[in-house]
Amino acid sequence: MIVLAPDASSLRAAQPLASVRSWPVTGAADGSTLEGGTLWGECRGSAATPYRTVVDLSGPAYRCSCPSRKFPCKHALALMLLWSEGAIGPDGDLPDWAAGWLATRSARQTATNTEAKDPKPPADPAAAQRRADQREARVAAGLAELDRWLCDQVREGLAASQRSEYRHWDDIAARMVDAQAPGLAERLRALASVPHSGPGWEGRLLEEYAMTRLLVTAFRDLDKLPPPLRDTVRSRIGFTVRQADLLARAVPVRDRWHVLARRDLDQDRIQTRRVWLRGRRTGRPALVLSFAAAGQSLDASLRVGAETDADLTFYPGVVPLRALVTARRDTVPGGTPPGTTATGLLDGYAAALGQDPWLETWPVVLEATPARAPLPCLRDAAGDAVALHPAAGDCWPLFALSGGRPLTVAGEWTPRGLWPLTAWDEGGRPVQL
Amino acid sequence: MSAWHDLVTASLIGTERTVVPAVAIPGLPPLDDENGDPAAMLLDRAALLTAARRAGRHLDQAEPLPASEPDPRPAVSQAAARRLARMLGGDHPDLLAEWLRAVTTRGVRLPPQFLPVLLDLARRAGSKDPALVRLVAEAGGPRARWLAGLNPDWEPVLEETLGQDDVWRLGTASQRRAYLRALRARDPGAARELIADGWAAAGPDERLMFVSVLADGLSLADESLLEAALDDRTAFVRKMAADVLAALPGSAFSLRMAERAVRWLRMEHGEHGPRLMIVPPAGTDAAMRRDGITSDPGPGTSQARYIGLVLEIVARTPPWAWTRQFGLPPAKIVAMPAGDLGPSNPSLFTAWSRAALSQGDQEWMNALVNRALTGKPPLTQAELGALTRLIRQADPRLGAPDVLPRPGPEMLPALWHAIRTLRFRYEMLKELDT
Repeated sequence: MIVLAPDASSLRAAQPLASVRSWPVTGAADGSTLEGGTLWGECRGSAATPYRTVVDLSGPAYRCSCPSRKFPCKHALALMLLWSEGAIGPDGDLPDWAAGWLATRSARQTATNTEAKDPKPPADPAAAQRRADQREARVAAGLAELDRWLCDQVREGLAASQRSEYRHWDDIAARMVDAQAPGLAERLRALASVPHSGPGWEGRLLEEYAMTRLLVTAFRDLDKLPPPLRDTVRSRIGFTVRQADLLARAVPVRDRWHVLARRDLDQDRIQTRRVWLRGRRTGRPALVLSFAAAGQSLDASLRVGAETDADLTFYPGVVPLRALVTARRDTVPGGTPPGTTATGLLDGYAAALGQDPWLETWPVVLEATPARAPLPCLRDAAGDAVALHPAAGDCWPLFALSGGRPLTVAGEWTPRGLWPLTAWDEGGRPVQL
Repeated sequence: MSAWHDLVTASLIGTERTVVPAVAIPGLPPLDDENGDPAAMLLDRAALLTAARRAGRHLDQAEPLPASEPDPRPAVSQAAARRLARMLGGDHPDLLAEWLRAVTTRGVRLPPQFLPVLLDLARRAGSKDPALVRLVAEAGGPRARWLAGLNPDWEPVLEETLGQDDVWRLGTASQRRAYLRALRARDPGAARELIADGWAAAGPDERLMFVSVLADGLSLADESLLEAALDDRTAFVRKMAADVLAALPGSAFSLRMAERAVRWLRMEHGEHGPRLMIVPPAGTDAAMRRDGITSDPGPGTSQARYIGLVLEIVARTPPWAWTRQFGLPPAKIVAMPAGDLGPSNPSLFTAWSRAALSQGDQEWMNALVNRALTGKPPLTQAELGALTRLIRQADPRLGAPDVLPRPGPEMLPALWHAIRTLRFRYEMLKELDT
């Protein structure tokens, strides 16, 4: 809770409000589940009309009719404090104003490929199956259309793309949203910037079109693929796995998970946080995603450099990376993690790529010295080097930290190079780059 | 990978106008995909080649950089490192110079990952703030020099402009100023000699620059040069010389000021205890005008004008003069009611603040800060401005817990901010000592 407060003063302001007397109307729904749950309440304050506050505990996300620009505001914090003290019972019907906000929020979430959260099991299994079949058919039709569009691009020639406007890709992306394939929609929207990404853009655009068509053909022949690869294809197209189903089905992996790196991305007013972990015992990489609307605070519970005894439940796939933290125990500082060589990095990525050809973001830990050849790169003890990602810039803090000596760097390996995220100083402390 | 290049070229032209190049993947049997749509065929071959190229990426080769010289200084504490990050992020950025100075005097090393931001700051400050450039260079040590050698943007930042006598003889006005400032920082006596030698031939702008350079690293050895400048042909050179002399403890100038000041600001014992009174001066004489006291009340003067004159003298009077004259500690003097001063602007508080700041008199600064924060709060813009400068120079131990009142919501924002700043300075310096 304290972690969620934007600053100490908000929390201080919330404390006097966290009394039942200030809240004539409160309620909670599904507050007992691990992730889900909604709190609502009307707070009597100085204003004539009470402030209406809704907290979606699964985000967490907040909505309040007060004019405060802080997220969460003191009312939302007070409501959560009350709830954590057990002062809000799981009774009362969701009022219309709260339901309305939740509905728009959940629509927005689905559109941005975040987790669809439906804590209740489907009421009518037959109807649910019908809906699922309808969606499969809609996706298949959408993918057939996308296939024609991709082939048209190559038939007419990519040279025209540099003169195209964003709409060229936004239109086909919007059709993929209609076809309920949000994963593809996101992929296509991101392509609009490729023709302006500098020399070699035509090769990168061809790669993207080719790998997208590979998804289309893979989905067409889904039945012929082994089940884990099927899951990978489906998730890249945008089919989501419900958390409840995942938790019911998958076996959690317990390990001491070292938090290696963190990267925040801003897309369409939604912030995405990628946290990369690695298990001490299993050596497994893991990715924990969290999302927040603009102005809301992202989940900060996984601190870079920490090592946590935790259970991770992995989403299915041929190279399972994405995971949920389902249990946490003690946390200690993790120290400098062991790093690989440039050859080890490329071998590891090649092995993973052999399983999942669409894998474009792969967590790595490298022991190397920053160098310039003349573009920034990392050079290992054997003299082999890997380039840093051109969009990562000059990476001066990384050079400053190294001073021309080897250090351990964690980051994301991509086809364009390494995006450095964390480096460890001589005292074994992580420095976020 | 010419096969890839051929595919990219064909895709640019379009399969309507060209044939799809053949592709052979090492280790894979020849493709059998000839019977489809050429566009689909091209995309499938490209997909195969993309995966193969990504998985079979070659290692690059790079020459190693020469390593930076080791920095033997011990690293600052983690708390100090976090504070630097906060300051660079916009929390009390105006205290950065003090922090860097504290780092260099304590002989500790700052976390190297912040050097790029500091070097950028120094580059932007450039000749406008040579003191900051010097501090960054000194605190950054060998690692900063090593970094500057890698980036052409930073190279001139730490470049020694010294040793090039040509700059002094042939350089532009700003190059000469930068040269002189740097020399003054390194060797104040050498800079003074250069100024003395060049004085007769210098124009008024350059003489003004000379006097302003002397303000850094000021000592009694500069006094005769500055006294001579009080007789300069040009008014603003005289004025600047008077300002610089007012900051020189133990100068003849400050004795002259003290002698005047105690004549016109006196302590009286009234019914309600002691209070301060202004004795209207008759006007200014030649000696006063020589010392930079320029506002002449003239005949038939109004009260406000002679108060202004006295305050101008107070601002240039070393504060010890009052302690000696009234036989009271600074805290008692600054708390005394001032008879007919009224709500004048600039006030006695402002004048004393200027004097304490320019003489670097810690005891008086502390007394004035205490008065402002716990006694009579500053009201006018000038008083608030004086307080803002005081809290940056006053003894940071004033910011220790329980010395000053806790900032509360009922407090004036300026006072609240002043207490926060003092506390920040106290904590920032304490962290560097642990």
